[in-house]
Amino acid sequence: MSTSLSVAATPSKTSHKSDSAAKSSTMSAVQRRNRWMMFFFILPMLVVFLAIVIIPSLQSIQLSFTDYDGISPTYNYVGVDNYHEIITSGRFWNAVKNTLILGIGSAFIINVISLVMALLLDRIHHFSGFFRTIVYLPSLVSAFIASTIWKYMLNYNFGAVNSILKKAGLEGWVHDWLGDSHIVVWVLLFLICFTLGGNTTLIYLSNLQSVPQELVEAAEVDGASGWQVFRHVTWPMLAGSVTVNFTLSLIGGWVIFDQIQVLTGGGPGFVSETMAFFIYRLGFGEYRAGFGSAAAVLLFIIVMITTVITNKYMRGREIQA
Amino acid sequence: MLSTKSFNRLTKGVAVVAALASTVGLAACGSSRAATAGGKDSARFLYATGDETWNATVKAIVDAYNKLPNKVGTVVAEPIPSGSDYATAMKTMDATGNWPAIVDMRDTVTYIEAGKLAPIPQEVTSLVDDDAYSAYKDGNVYLTPSTANNGELGFGIVYNKQYFKDNNLSVPTTWDEFIKLMQTIKAKGQTPLATAAGEVWPSGQLWKPIASETFAKHSAKDGGFWADVKDGKAQVADLKDDLTKLKDIIDNYTLKGWQSTLDAQTTTLLVNNQAVMATTSSGLGRLRDINKVKPDFDAGYFLIPDSEGNFNVLKNSVGDSSQGLAISKQAKDNGKQYDIAVDFLKYYYSVDGANVIEKSGTMSPQIKDSSKVTRNTEIPGSTDYYALLDSPKLKWYVNETPWKTFSTFNTFFRQSRIAMQDNQSSIDDTIAKVQAEFDKDIKG
Repeated sequence: MSTSLSVAATPSKTSHKSDSAAKSSTMSAVQRRNRWMMFFFILPMLVVFLAIVIIPSLQSIQLSFTDYDGISPTYNYVGVDNYHEIITSGRFWNAVKNTLILGIGSAFIINVISLVMALLLDRIHHFSGFFRTIVYLPSLVSAFIASTIWKYMLNYNFGAVNSILKKAGLEGWVHDWLGDSHIVVWVLLFLICFTLGGNTTLIYLSNLQSVPQELVEAAEVDGASGWQVFRHVTWPMLAGSVTVNFTLSLIGGWVIFDQIQVLTGGGPGFVSETMAFFIYRLGFGEYRAGFGSAAAVLLFIIVMITTVITNKYMRGREIQA
Repeated sequence: MLSTKSFNRLTKGVAVVAALASTVGLAACGSSRAATAGGKDSARFLYATGDETWNATVKAIVDAYNKLPNKVGTVVAEPIPSGSDYATAMKTMDATGNWPAIVDMRDTVTYIEAGKLAPIPQEVTSLVDDDAYSAYKDGNVYLTPSTANNGELGFGIVYNKQYFKDNNLSVPTTWDEFIKLMQTIKAKGQTPLATAAGEVWPSGQLWKPIASETFAKHSAKDGGFWADVKDGKAQVADLKDDLTKLKDIIDNYTLKGWQSTLDAQTTTLLVNNQAVMATTSSGLGRLRDINKVKPDFDAGYFLIPDSEGNFNVLKNSVGDSSQGLAISKQAKDNGKQYDIAVDFLKYYYSVDGANVIEKSGTMSPQIKDSSKVTRNTEIPGSTDYYALLDSPKLKWYVNETPWKTFSTFNTFFRQSRIAMQDNQSSIDDTIAKVQAEFDKDIKG
């Protein structure tokens, strides 16, 4: 009502408003067109993504309630039997324990080592490109290839590691690194940290280089020690990259598979199985796709919960920082 | 110069074309793959790798077939991808709908029941010895043997013959002699035996010969030991003595590092004198591998005897629960690929084909014209292997496992045995877990 009154009272304004309405209408038409354009551009990938990721993932929820063997055209619904069997299985909890050790352990270790490496690289001014390349290089090698190399190096009877130890007179240190059930998970943790640190270092390094130098200099002028500068200036400024790196490392840790498959095959026995490997072994190697799907659903829930909690904590830390 | 409107129209067109091209391109990829699933005049032969001799045999027979002037088409040998186990490779292949025409088949019942295999025609089966194959319960033959039906004659011990000669040792004729032999070798400061459990499957190389005496006591008429366990006439606990013997050998006479040793590495351990004997499941094939790695190595072969001196060897279960060659349903639907597969199998079971197989180091399948086949005795130790076939101590036994969930149970049993050997669980705990798994997978 008020609009029509003002239109009648002020024709020039009306004309201006109608221009603006026309403009706005044109803009929204353009925006609509652009939206359609954008939609068409992402459509091919969306179709592929839906077909090979989302729909099969959703279907695995349905399959988790069946006895599907992964081959036969038919299957039976078994209710929550698969979930009950998983939760009461010692093998599953062993896989959970390994996943926690490798997931959380590698996330912590990788982040600490990467941060130290990034701080060192940040201070190196000669041959910095060379050193950065050296640090990043292991990330360019696929986990499969790196693991295969390690498998040969750690072989008990032929491996370079044991040969060197023997030649150095350290016979007592010789181990079946990948076959000793007491240490195999820790050996895996070491190897995973060794190959996965490059990207994390790179993110820390780029963040370190964006820390305002005037803040660092001001703290130094105020008499802060190197540690104090790091603790009260640099560390708070790194809060965002700590969140990103820790979350990525954690997710990477939950789904560790290649290294296990190549290095130990989950053995000896079941001792080094992780959740991802457990799902693979059941779903593919043992023709229990329904059971494997139930384990996959549980893994998804665990990853979601831990990622949300970690992220929430990290974001809170960022705000405080 | 394009107007904004024309530009928008152009970009929109590009987007639509891009979207269409991507979708059609993907479809094209699919159809291209389907078309090359064997090609118009070729058929793929998927075979399980791991054993070098079998790899060489597949290459030899495929090459020989492809040189035939009157062949129906070309056969392309395709190994199962390196690093993946058989079941995974098969499931991946099945998921992509990309079946080869000829398949080196395991877990056969699962695939017959899923309708993935085509019956093998009579023109092929008529060439094979009648005892070497059998029909499935629907009356069709889905599997014919890939090698001689010598059962698990290949599950034995390869040894350093020269070491035996130098130390006046002889091949054991009873179980007690076998243990004494290992004690003697150990007393001389050598490691008696190399074995492998870096992969799950070779764990049976030592276990099966040890357990064979127990398995052999169960009636062939009822299907053997596992059938008796299913029917409640036997239980996993009946294997306790055998598991104890296995543990004793692992603890006292086996080369350290067996947990991470791969099957193929035991050949190297033997020829490098790191152990005097090594376990194998490929018999003649392993002797050929040894000869290839170190031609001057004097290798021998024997079977682990039971307490009475008999060699209890699992007979090939012919038909659905065995392993052998199959033709895929996808090839049958294609028509041409089925014709190539049938023609190839006819050559495989001919005298010429059998001679090619023998020459490559594998013992050829029993065919109707077996008497015309030339045996390959060039491989050092192969005479030991052939002699076993004529030994009066050789006792064939049956242990049928015609349940499609047996593969699930067997993988669990293998892993549990390795865990037991590695002191992760006691023998009694292992028996209880394995029995529970059997009840769930087979009885349940």
